[in-house]
Amino acid sequence: MTQRIEFKVGLFITITSFLIMASIGYVAYKKGMFSKVYTYTLSSHTGENLTEGMPVAVWGFTIGRVSSLELNDQGTVLIRIKIPERHIRMIRADSKFVLDKPLIGSPRILVKTTNLNGLPLSPLTIPELTESNDINEIIKRAQPIIDKADRIMANIEGITANLADPKGDVNRILRDAEALVARFSKRDSLLEMVVGDPESVKSIHESLKKLRDITARADGILQRVDGMAVKADGILQRVDGMAGKTDEELYGRDGVLPQFRNILRDLLAKLAKIDATFDNINKISTEAADSTKDLKALRNELDETIQTIRDLADEIERMIPFKTKPEIKLP
Amino acid sequence: MITTIENIGKAFLSKILPLRGTLQFATRVFLNIFDRRTYNSASRMVFIHQFYFTSVQILPLFLFVAVIFGSLINGMAFQVVKNLGLSDYLGRLLMGFVVTELSPFVTVLLIALRSSSAINAEIAVMKVSRELNTLESFRIDLIHYLFIPRILNGMLSMVLLTSLFALVVLSIGLLVSSLVFGTSVDAYIDTLLHSADVLDIVILLIKCAAFGFFITLIPIRLGLNASQELTSIPVAVLNGMVKVFLAIVTIEALSSILRFI
Repeated sequence: MTQRIEFKVGLFITITSFLIMASIGYVAYKKGMFSKVYTYTLSSHTGENLTEGMPVAVWGFTIGRVSSLELNDQGTVLIRIKIPERHIRMIRADSKFVLDKPLIGSPRILVKTTNLNGLPLSPLTIPELTESNDINEIIKRAQPIIDKADRIMANIEGITANLADPKGDVNRILRDAEALVARFSKRDSLLEMVVGDPESVKSIHESLKKLRDITARADGILQRVDGMAVKADGILQRVDGMAGKTDEELYGRDGVLPQFRNILRDLLAKLAKIDATFDNINKISTEAADSTKDLKALRNELDETIQTIRDLADEIERMIPFKTKPEIKLP
Repeated sequence: MITTIENIGKAFLSKILPLRGTLQFATRVFLNIFDRRTYNSASRMVFIHQFYFTSVQILPLFLFVAVIFGSLINGMAFQVVKNLGLSDYLGRLLMGFVVTELSPFVTVLLIALRSSSAINAEIAVMKVSRELNTLESFRIDLIHYLFIPRILNGMLSMVLLTSLFALVVLSIGLLVSSLVFGTSVDAYIDTLLHSADVLDIVILLIKCAAFGFFITLIPIRLGLNASQELTSIPVAVLNGMVKVFLAIVTIEALSSILRFI
């Protein structure tokens, strides 16, 4: 019995202790408790918002913590941060350290590294910690809006003060409006209130009555003119009908214009033929002119021949004078 | 006037003196824990039996309670976190509240209800039946033989059972998170790891040990206050349990102060 109890107790203690040790060991391992830790020192002109244990983050990931804060003889705050070996790649010589103070949440130190392949930061180097204050930034941005809101509030205050003031503009306008309404209620009409004399209002009324009569007459005249206009419309419609017919006669299929177009088309064809004939005549006349030149030369030759014959006959007659002078007929 | 002041002083001392006596007794016991003579075979046997009754016998009931509590607490916490859109704080809620606060509290209540009352009654009965006198007459050191095995049992049981409770609750949390959020095992463990702090775990273990120490020491101390009459037994148990409850609240408050300083 005792041995059985001992076994159960031993088993329980062993299993539970193993589970606890394994859990703690796993958490410690994952938290980097067994890895080598590097310590760097930063400097700041103030220790405000800096606390021991505050996170050091890169791109939103916590890679280390502030291990200690110290004020040196020169009045500079020295901040020691511990970074596990596996995150040491993020800390380079050109890394910038910024104290980030978000509007909501705790402050933290942000590491901004542009070149991960740059030279590693020497533990002896003490970079300066700069500040990024979200709250101040927001206040700076909000200041013009607040100023504007202040002005609006001042205006609203002025308006409300004016409303509350019995001698203010608003109350004066209201009083005037009240007086106006009272005057309205006392007079028979708005016209009487404006003119101020009932007789004048009466004469205006009579004038208006006459004007109404004139308008009625003018209406009659206009009605008659309307009737005439209606008749004129009928005439115009008929004229339109005639014009429509004329259009048909002029522009219809058998109208004058299509026929005239056909005649012109025939005339053009005939003119083309005449043109060719004229060309031929021209050619013939040119040739005839050339022929006339030849006839002239022939005549000249004939004239020269006849002259020669005449000269010859004269010679013969001189030589043989028995014959009377013969009459030679020229061709 | 003087009488009134005397009465105030008397009332104060009547409350303080037992506390001083308890603290003196606690110091004596604590120092004896590091005494090698404590760990003889008889004490070891008592310790094993006490541990068996406190931790191993209760295990099925304890695991059942852990599962029920774990399901309820996780279900409520996850639903609240989901409805409020605070899923980023899930890890902190589980580690900061469920593991470091709820687990030890439920465990200490269970052990106090079951074992502390039993120890209180046992010591009171031994006192009434003069068993303690008999042991002393045989030159058996009561602190070594009776008290330290029970107190060590209380400390160890509290540490182990609290850890077991936390592991069960976190395992159920994994189940619930995968059902409610569709979270993977890796993501869930990462969330817990992100929120876990080794210092918090160390404080938790120390708190559990302190709970175990006082919820067994106070019943022993109050059990020893029993007179020779049988009717003093329930009075001793009653006083002992009230003091145990006050001790739990005090330790809980002190640990919270320690954690959040």
